[in-house]
Amino acid sequence: VWWWKCGGGGRGQSFNIAPQKEEPEMGHSGPKCVQRTGMLEPRSQQLDGHVASGCLPGEQILAWAPGVRKGLEPELPGTLICTNLRVTFQPCGWQRSQETPLSSEYDFALVNIGRLEAVSGLSRVQLLRPGSPLKFIPEEILIHGRDFRLLRVAFEAGGLEPQAFQVTMAIVQARAQNSQVQQYAGIPLSKAGQSTGSRKPPVPLLETSEDWEAERKKQGARGWRVSTINERFDIATSLPRYFWVPKRTLDSEVRRAFGHFHQGRGPRLSWHHPGGSDLLRCGGFYTASDPNKEDIRAVESMLQAGHSDVVLVDTVDELPSLADVQLAHLRLRALCLPDSSAAEEKWLSALEGTRWLDYVRSCLRKASDISVLVTSRVRSVVLQERGDRDFNGLLSSLVQLLSVPEARTLLGFQSLVQREWVAAGHPFLTRLGVTGASEEAPVFLLFLDCVWQLLQQFPAEFEFSEFFLLALHDSARVPDTLTFLRDTPWERGKQGGQFNSYTQIYNPGCCQPPAGNSVNSQLSVWDWDLRYNSEQILQFHNPGYDPEHCPDSWLPRQQPSFMVPGPPSSVWLFSRGALTPLNQLCPWRDNPSLLAVSSRWLPRAAISSESLADQEWGLPSHWGACPLPPGLLLPGYLGPQIRLWRRCYLRGRPEVQKGLSAPTISGLQDELSHLQELLRKWTPRISPEDHSKKRDPNTILSQSR
Amino acid sequence: MLGKGVVGGGGGTKAPKPSFVSYVRPEEIHTNEKEVTEKEVTLHLLPGEQLLCEASTVLKYVQEDSCQRGIYGKLVCTDFKIAFLGDDDSALDNDETQFKNKVIGENDITLHCVDQIYGVFDEKKKTLFGQLKKYPEKLIIHCKDLRVFHFCLRYTKEEEVKRIVSGIIHHTQAPKLLKRLFLFSYAAAAQNHAATDPRNHTVMFDTLKDWCWELERTKGSVKYKAVSVNEGYKVCERLPAYFVVPTPLPEEDLSRFQGHGIPLWCWSCHNGCALLKMSALPKKEQDDGLSQMQKSFLDGIYKTIHRPPYEIVKTEDLSSNFLSLQDIQTAYSKFKQLFLIDNSTEFWDTDIKWFSLLESSSWLDIIRRCLKKAIEITECLEAQNVNVLLLEENASDLCCLVSSLVQVMMDPHCRTRIGFQSLVQKEWIMGGHSFLDRCNHLRQSDKEEVPVFLLFLDCVWQLVHQHPPAFDFTETYLTVLSDSLYIPIFSTFFFNSPHQKDNVHQRQLSLPLTQSKSSPKRGFFREETDHLIKNLLGKRISKLINSSDELHDNLREFYDSWHSKPTDYHGLLLPHIEGPEIKVWAQRYLRWIPEAQILGGGRAATVSKLLEMMEEVERLQEKIDARPHGQGALLAEAPLLLRGSARLSALFPFALLQRHPSKPVLPTSGWKALGDEEDLAKREDEFVDLGDV
Repeated sequence: VWWWKCGGGGRGQSFNIAPQKEEPEMGHSGPKCVQRTGMLEPRSQQLDGHVASGCLPGEQILAWAPGVRKGLEPELPGTLICTNLRVTFQPCGWQRSQETPLSSEYDFALVNIGRLEAVSGLSRVQLLRPGSPLKFIPEEILIHGRDFRLLRVAFEAGGLEPQAFQVTMAIVQARAQNSQVQQYAGIPLSKAGQSTGSRKPPVPLLETSEDWEAERKKQGARGWRVSTINERFDIATSLPRYFWVPKRTLDSEVRRAFGHFHQGRGPRLSWHHPGGSDLLRCGGFYTASDPNKEDIRAVESMLQAGHSDVVLVDTVDELPSLADVQLAHLRLRALCLPDSSAAEEKWLSALEGTRWLDYVRSCLRKASDISVLVTSRVRSVVLQERGDRDFNGLLSSLVQLLSVPEARTLLGFQSLVQREWVAAGHPFLTRLGVTGASEEAPVFLLFLDCVWQLLQQFPAEFEFSEFFLLALHDSARVPDTLTFLRDTPWERGKQGGQFNSYTQIYNPGCCQPPAGNSVNSQLSVWDWDLRYNSEQILQFHNPGYDPEHCPDSWLPRQQPSFMVPGPPSSVWLFSRGALTPLNQLCPWRDNPSLLAVSSRWLPRAAISSESLADQEWGLPSHWGACPLPPGLLLPGYLGPQIRLWRRCYLRGRPEVQKGLSAPTISGLQDELSHLQELLRKWTPRISPEDHSKKRDPNTILSQSR
Repeated sequence: MLGKGVVGGGGGTKAPKPSFVSYVRPEEIHTNEKEVTEKEVTLHLLPGEQLLCEASTVLKYVQEDSCQRGIYGKLVCTDFKIAFLGDDDSALDNDETQFKNKVIGENDITLHCVDQIYGVFDEKKKTLFGQLKKYPEKLIIHCKDLRVFHFCLRYTKEEEVKRIVSGIIHHTQAPKLLKRLFLFSYAAAAQNHAATDPRNHTVMFDTLKDWCWELERTKGSVKYKAVSVNEGYKVCERLPAYFVVPTPLPEEDLSRFQGHGIPLWCWSCHNGCALLKMSALPKKEQDDGLSQMQKSFLDGIYKTIHRPPYEIVKTEDLSSNFLSLQDIQTAYSKFKQLFLIDNSTEFWDTDIKWFSLLESSSWLDIIRRCLKKAIEITECLEAQNVNVLLLEENASDLCCLVSSLVQVMMDPHCRTRIGFQSLVQKEWIMGGHSFLDRCNHLRQSDKEEVPVFLLFLDCVWQLVHQHPPAFDFTETYLTVLSDSLYIPIFSTFFFNSPHQKDNVHQRQLSLPLTQSKSSPKRGFFREETDHLIKNLLGKRISKLINSSDELHDNLREFYDSWHSKPTDYHGLLLPHIEGPEIKVWAQRYLRWIPEAQILGGGRAATVSKLLEMMEEVERLQEKIDARPHGQGALLAEAPLLLRGSARLSALFPFALLQRHPSKPVLPTSGWKALGDEEDLAKREDEFVDLGDV
């Protein structure tokens, strides 16, 4: 780093979605919901009424100090406030809208604070580390978010130095004491819709069997039905209440079969390809069990579900381990800090050294292989991962993004995440490191990076924009809704009272926020208006999205010709980019301990076949070569093609922040809609084509919501 | 609102053709329909092109897979190109002909484009040169535009193998005389439409008028004058016939040291500061009298240009404090190896270490240093109001690079296509960059081959990539321009100096080639001291960076403050030069690697989307313009060029690649072996302990 070293950079627009600068003045400014308790220091009475008005129920202001937000141009004067829930920078004259109680731009949830630095002159101290007291009055503090955001505030001189010191110490203390409690309880929100009860969520939350049934119909999965066997979470707490099983399998058989899988996570349908093949996911076989013949038949019938050819995919094969992902993410964060020790000319190897991009590409590669298997080869694929809660979700969502144009719409993507991650029981709380448990691994963030790569490579195929991904990325660190605050659907489904008792178990002796305010059970992360204003939400739409890739036109609904009659019940294993035949699906028939040993899989052998392409895959000859179906994306995953998500990871380095080609397309889009608007005004009668061509962002928004 | 002109460069991608200034225009030799119908493919020769040798039943491997599939055909070598004519012509479809290069077919390699030739003997790859005792069974040709061809000669008659291999080697590798360049046979045979094309407004700077025009344009005419003292190259063969010098400079000084030591005007800034360049005076050993003379001469010159009305002059010595040509040569030869892929397996093997390999070539770092130097000079001109004098031994390599980069950054006119072409004409062609030697067109000295011009294009590409709306042209234009360096039907890039070109034309090619050109440049390449130079240079540079803090503070402030303001695309333009911002020019370097293609996506998709939207904007604008004339005048919808065409690949618009759906295996197992965790241990606990607080 040659000449940036000495100052930390001084410029840049933030990469956060630009907020609306002027909030409309709200009629009332009274501190309606602030609980002014005795804990409030007398000096905080000096705070303007409107500063305090943004407080949430149960929120207490611990300290505040006037300051100037740096790193942005122009520098923004305002107030740095530390409460028991978050750190907020409130610009002068900015008023928090009641509709968006959390600001994506100015709020840092306490638990999001990854590093805190206090600067005075040339000395620089890292706080938040045990035994690192603040020995001087800070001139400036830098808050590094775990979501790669940076808040840099310079305090004003002139008699207010003690306040600067107090607010800094308050942040350190609040974060240390409060993080776990608050994180688990969530920031209580008073959302108007919450009390009315019957609010329709923006995205089907898949908590009712109707949602599942509707989704099943949409996919055209005729051979499948919604099973209600887990309605009371007695099969597995990590499974959703409802899931899809083969139509002819009875619930008793389901129960029988699921018992032989790790944590009761038996095979369930993820996605039905209109060509007839299915994508299933399941946990590892529970090797210690001793199934009888009936059980094995049930397991096999569920895995095969009417297909002669089934490909078993060992999900974790060739993918990083959870610990790898965590380590890579830590390294990436270290590298992307503004004072990263990597020199400019060593940047590339430092980036390579994080392994993060390597992991991204291996995920993409595997997903692309599997989507070819499912769509072009029309084979049913079973994703098998021991826990079935991490990489299975990642792969199955990526495969669907690659193969189903519908999943690339805003609504489609949100329901995909809701289904494959939230409902499927991805342990968000643990994986995002909120509980402080050792099993932190940001698999979901890895997934978002993969999606971003796809967005880069296929800019016209996705309805959502990079900003949307960024918003989703940042929401993972905002403890406002239950979506990312629970490990299992069971915990998420618990209501009010039960929930409170749970926290008590978790953190005995902590004071509880009032029950009525604590749960935002009806809100999900998809309620974007909690955190983003409508202008920001408009930016979720990709201006380059090509409506020609509309969901209906991509594939004929049923293509029976795809189904090539093969030898009965052939079972294959897909591993290391090649297929090998398996003798049987279940490991128990001959040798009970088969699955435990990976050597049960045949060594990778070249199977003779006519087609050279198939030799690459080790495909049996009778499968034949199929052309790539339309709508399938084959991502590039080579070194030069996998890129760093700079707008996300380099947000803390203001000198590197710059939107590049993005404005070109959106600028044109603006001009286009402006011209269309003009034309529309001038022409009294409009032909229907003109209407359909008009792509006003507002119309798109209202359609998708 | 984005005006038409700003993004208009997108149009440049529509019709890829050699768009650089051509003195002689390529003619369309063949029509596409003919080619499709004819069973036997015939060789199409340009006017003046002669067939030298040929071989039949040669197998050209399909490069994308390692399974040795291929097409049979005829391999021919003419005095212009090596061409492969496939027997099976069915691969040609309509889409492909749409993007066809008018001169160079898909399987054509111009002789100047050949970089290395390898032969495979019993599975062993060897470089081929000189007289061969044994003839290879496989021929691998690496091209300078980074294509790789594999030809199998196993099924070819021995006679023919001998003839074709030695023919190819001789015609691509043996030193050649200037007069033997194909350029001249072509020029003699083809009709010469020298620069009469009315659309062509590129300023050629070969008349006094052109220089005066440029002086007027930049408002430099107050302090600088165009002189014609070198008309007929009486003063110096290195300099162009006309150039610009400070007004008070006496004319007799110009001829004193054959144009050395004279500050030549490059460009004037809006505030009156000028960018000047000067070639250093020749160093004469043990001649005190002469060096005394030189000294007093230089003092006189400096006195002239230091006096008002001239601003203070800051001298930038590019030959001692900056990159050496050898650095550039070494870096590029390492860098290009990353893209010259013999087979897929090799590619996948190196892919895993892509970033570190890229970094170790230090090509990107060289780009960064060039950009940084240009920013420094821009800062002097723009913020400090001083004149900058670039000094180099011959003022024809890094001087050209730095001065034209500065002009691209500071002068929006240079970001239009015509302006850019005029810039290249002014700084590179008239600036006397020795294209002949630097591209090694005559194969006379590999040591002189340094891709300085390509480095310049790559630097410009970084700017185009970072600020696309600021440029009238696209990256495709730059790629095509870089390709035309090796197509000897344009005379632009085939001479060492304007004198050489004019002379050769005047004397009907009858001159024997003068060797004098290479001697003054010898200083760059002293073999025995190569490693010394490199080490010393490294140390010197690091010292430089650490010292002169004040300079760097100024620079940083200038850089930061520019980047903190919204970008004015019609004003000063600075690149980002941080580590993550310098990128690989993927279109040029990766386009021939099938594995690197993204079907239906990538940059091609963005560009096509842009074009589509621009067309729609234009259509609507026309509609609005047409309104007062009548309601019913609805224009017919223009057929969109790209919509519905086959899936675009990164090869677009150079070819449409048909790629097999199969995928090779990526050895990801390499991870485990690659990394050690300990270097991160420190950083790691910094973060891990956060959770436990």
